[in-house]
Amino acid sequence: MTTSSAHILEMSGITKAFPGVLALDNANLSVQAGHIHGLVGENGAGKSTIIKVLAGVYRRDSGQIIIDGKAMAEVTPALVHAAGLRFIHQELHLVPHFTVAESVFMGQEQQGWFGIKSRAMNEAAERFLEETLNAEIRGRTLVRDLGIAHRKLVQIARALIDNQARVVVFDEPTAPLASAEIDQLFDAIARLKAHGISMIYVSHYLGEITSICDRVAVFRNGRDVGVIDDIGLRDSGRMINMMVGRDIADFYPVKNHAPSEPLLTIEGLADRKHFSDINLEIKRGEIVGLAGLIGSGREELVDTIYGLRRAATGRMLLDGKPLTLKSPADAVKHGIVLVPRDRRQDGLVLDMAVADNINLASLQDVARAFLIDRAAAVKRAESVADRLDVRPHNVGAISRLLSGGNQQKVVLARWLVTGSRLFILDEPTVGVDVGAKVEIYRLIEKLAGEGAAVFVSSSDPNELLGLCDRILVLLRGTIIADVDTATTSLDQLIALTTGGELQHGATA
Amino acid sequence: MALNIKRACLTSVALAAVVGLASIATPAAAADGNLSLKGKRIGVAVVGTQHFWDREAFNGALDEVKALGGEPVPVDGGRDNQVHADNHDILLAAKVDAVISILGDAAVEPKFKALKEAGIPVFTVDHLSPYSINNSTSDNYYMGTTIGRFMADAIGGKGKVAVFNAFEGALRICAIRTQMWKYVLQDYPDIKIVKPELAESFANAPEDARKKTLDLLTQYPKGTLDAIHVGCWDQPAIGVVQALEETGRTEIKVTALDAGPDTLEIMAEKNSPFVANVAQQPHKIGMTSAMNVARYFGGEKLLPQTFVEVVPVKGPDSAKKVYEDLGYGKLK
Amino acid sequence: MTSLASPRQSFDIGRLARAVAPSLPLIVFLAMFVYLGIASPSFLEPSTFALILKQSIPTTIVSLGLATVVMAGGDDVVSGGIDLSIPAAAVLAAAVVADLVTNHAWFIGPALLIGLLTAVACGLVNAFLVVLVGMTPLLATFASATAFVGIGKVVTASRRINVTDPLVVWLRDGVIAGVPVGVIAACVISAVFYFVLHRTRWGLNLQAVGGNRDAAEISGLSPAKFIATAFVIAGLAAGIGSIFVLARGSGWAPGTEENMMMEMVLATFLGAAFSPRRIVTLWGAVLGAVLVSALSVGFGSVGIDIFWTGCIKGGLILVVVASSALSRKVNI
Repeated sequence: MTTSSAHILEMSGITKAFPGVLALDNANLSVQAGHIHGLVGENGAGKSTIIKVLAGVYRRDSGQIIIDGKAMAEVTPALVHAAGLRFIHQELHLVPHFTVAESVFMGQEQQGWFGIKSRAMNEAAERFLEETLNAEIRGRTLVRDLGIAHRKLVQIARALIDNQARVVVFDEPTAPLASAEIDQLFDAIARLKAHGISMIYVSHYLGEITSICDRVAVFRNGRDVGVIDDIGLRDSGRMINMMVGRDIADFYPVKNHAPSEPLLTIEGLADRKHFSDINLEIKRGEIVGLAGLIGSGREELVDTIYGLRRAATGRMLLDGKPLTLKSPADAVKHGIVLVPRDRRQDGLVLDMAVADNINLASLQDVARAFLIDRAAAVKRAESVADRLDVRPHNVGAISRLLSGGNQQKVVLARWLVTGSRLFILDEPTVGVDVGAKVEIYRLIEKLAGEGAAVFVSSSDPNELLGLCDRILVLLRGTIIADVDTATTSLDQLIALTTGGELQHGATA
Repeated sequence: MALNIKRACLTSVALAAVVGLASIATPAAAADGNLSLKGKRIGVAVVGTQHFWDREAFNGALDEVKALGGEPVPVDGGRDNQVHADNHDILLAAKVDAVISILGDAAVEPKFKALKEAGIPVFTVDHLSPYSINNSTSDNYYMGTTIGRFMADAIGGKGKVAVFNAFEGALRICAIRTQMWKYVLQDYPDIKIVKPELAESFANAPEDARKKTLDLLTQYPKGTLDAIHVGCWDQPAIGVVQALEETGRTEIKVTALDAGPDTLEIMAEKNSPFVANVAQQPHKIGMTSAMNVARYFGGEKLLPQTFVEVVPVKGPDSAKKVYEDLGYGKLK
Repeated sequence: MTSLASPRQSFDIGRLARAVAPSLPLIVFLAMFVYLGIASPSFLEPSTFALILKQSIPTTIVSLGLATVVMAGGDDVVSGGIDLSIPAAAVLAAAVVADLVTNHAWFIGPALLIGLLTAVACGLVNAFLVVLVGMTPLLATFASATAFVGIGKVVTASRRINVTDPLVVWLRDGVIAGVPVGVIAACVISAVFYFVLHRTRWGLNLQAVGGNRDAAEISGLSPAKFIATAFVIAGLAAGIGSIFVLARGSGWAPGTEENMMMEMVLATFLGAAFSPRRIVTLWGAVLGAVLVSALSVGFGSVGIDIFWTGCIKGGLILVVVASSALSRKVNI
């Protein structure tokens, strides 16, 4: 390995612990001057933590940060900014009704005796966008009239306009972009590289990493597990191997459910923005997984099937009968239930007792002439809670005080009592500890065993492989694969979801 | 037995309609055959139309302007003195031939001045102003002294009295009424006025006075307060009586001025704490003002003030009689 | 066969809403002015225009303050920046000035200074409640408005105070080169506000904070400082407005703030409908204040019942706020 160019940024031995979690464990990251340095890893690998430590958002517990040869004893947003670091956040952080020039110059406007020099700022912004980012955007245009790609470029221009940038950190910059727009962004990134600016490029899309990065660092479990130099298109498999490791715990239940006749059929569903031409079928007694990165349209598709969003075209059939959902209430009437991804926000009334949460969707069953039969309600809630082993064993407990896993069980319990036919589970185990995960997996298996259809949307490929019969892979709004979990490896699944090219011999 | 405001209001609305019709049926102009406002546009500005007095004076003026062949241009301040004052600007811009302005505080003075400078004569109702040709009003001096005597009689010439007196400093007619009342009380050294004097609000007066009375009653427990007087009108007295009935403190006597049908009804009830009042004839005052406009255009010389007769009311029987005499109907 | 046809329909309604919603207030206003112009010939005369401008002054000044707060806090009516207490602070400052000048014989200069400081202190209170305590601006300023009104009533004992100081009279009646002094003053004040908030770096940064708090923070700006300053500026606007409140009413009278608050909110958000960017701006607020005043004058000159005027203005607030909500909905 030749290190001809000097390191412009070196982070070594970085450790950062949060209560109960060691987010970074003696991690290293070094960037050579003029390079584009990729940073990959699964969710929770420590990528965003190390970026936030670098940005001064989190204070490191130990470790050294050297920028351009100078050790930084203290790292604050202002200090790293002064040192020439710039962060292009995943969110655009733009004011929709500001002009391009106003956005680019935000915080460093040019002012004269007669106030803001609008014309000078317009011209300077246009020139900068043209020369540095190869984009022709008028300075007077309002941000809200720009496409997403141009907004991204405006965001980048704002970070670079003072010409003091040395290292630019991109965090998932392509997530909201369509493929033509990505080319535009890559073109701009190439220009920056030509100007001698170093970059850190964080992405889930391995295909992007292999095509633009010079070098890539792979993170797993809070540490850097490998660096690949001179990365090329053939390195996806190596990266995936490093990302995944070899320690997949075997805590998935034995599959003993049997798919029967189709329950839900979707034909040509599209919403004109997030997904298009979606065709799928879920059978009774079947568990179908949905994989896809953030921004792949996965959340939107799930919401649409549940009636939270409207589709533009396409149709849905339930039991062979056309299904039109105007709202989640409609869905519930048809026996379709959603266990939402953010249960604290969408799934539970946190300050209500466990029993009340369980009975929330089915009060009419325990009500007599508008009055709730408390005793019956509590009794029913208790029987379901016992079945799911919700802890503490007290349905009078306030839901807020339960652990994440037990909260999730309460949400599931609510729908169990309603006797639903189709369960849509959106990230069912996010923020849940391993023990509770196992129980939730068992419960899902049990639902399918009892003849319900289960649709699991998850960002955890292990979970999907362990739990489902089939997995649909969503990439940029279209289903690019429908794979049988019995014959699919983790590497293959990750390769499909990340759009990376899987080379033979990379199978785990 | 408590008479609520809603009923009082409904009755008064109905009455207003009856009185209005009556006055159209018998045009007052007949008494003065040669008066005419033919071809004249007369602006009529009133501070509000929620209260009986204001509305009747307003209707009286409008009816009479129409009866005399003129075209009224009405503007209503919604019981907001500022809006009322601003409405005069609209009349100025509309280039009316004369303005009748009913009530209002000092905010109208500059507007009167502007109207006068534009050659538009201003006639006021219950508002004394240097810019006004004539003010049609009740005999406020007589009202003040009469209610002073009646109140002193009602509490046996001695005791503590609270007074609602928000407008003594702002409206001349109120200054006259309250100061005349105090002038009488000078000769009753055993009657003490509670300090500070209370200030009722101009809008939503009954409800506002009700709350303030409740506060007052907690400050002055039974036996320490003998009367509550409303210095310049009687809408707050509706709320005062409500508060007294709510707390069972009906031993406290209530006196006020104006005596519209709503308050006469309260007075007419058996054992009503509302014992004395002086009735005005607002409809007649409004009509008088309109007639004065016609007289002015007819070349007559007008006195600065025209007084319309008032009727003292003392006790339930008297209230029933006045109610009937003034044409409000018949009380059981 | 039921396909997902209805969602497609709603999509088209969305597009329609996107096209029409932001212009809805404009369309409604235009329709009203056409009606007023036809119904009342005097409405279109230059003297009426001067009257409209004159009557709009206090609303204009307080709307400048509200626009500043909205620009710094974002234009979401519930969670964004809003300050309902500006008229209350203005009326409180006016009460202080009136009390000092009329009841304590102060010179107008020092009295105005104290009034201004009072209003700025009101702004500081709001800044404290919103930025440090973390209250929702809507609730915080609603509560503080109630308190400011209460303090004003304590200062004045809830009684009208006349002010006849030459400076106040001059602001009310003075004319320079055919233009009312008050209008000139309002123009100058608006211009200063406009320059500071729309043409300086500081103003642009304040707008950035309101437009996207995270974006501003990332750009090295401190949102809390800007929001706090905006409330203090609103207090300053209230202080300046107090002089015009005194001039318009020839003194202080209780209850002035109520109507003003409604007009201020209507004017400020109406202004957004006129802005090409569909956001609250200072010049939009000024234009909005003039239009609202034009409506009041127009309704008065056509003789529309005052209660209908209230209904129509309330309805307009709904149209304006709903259209801003709609355009937000379709924009994102």
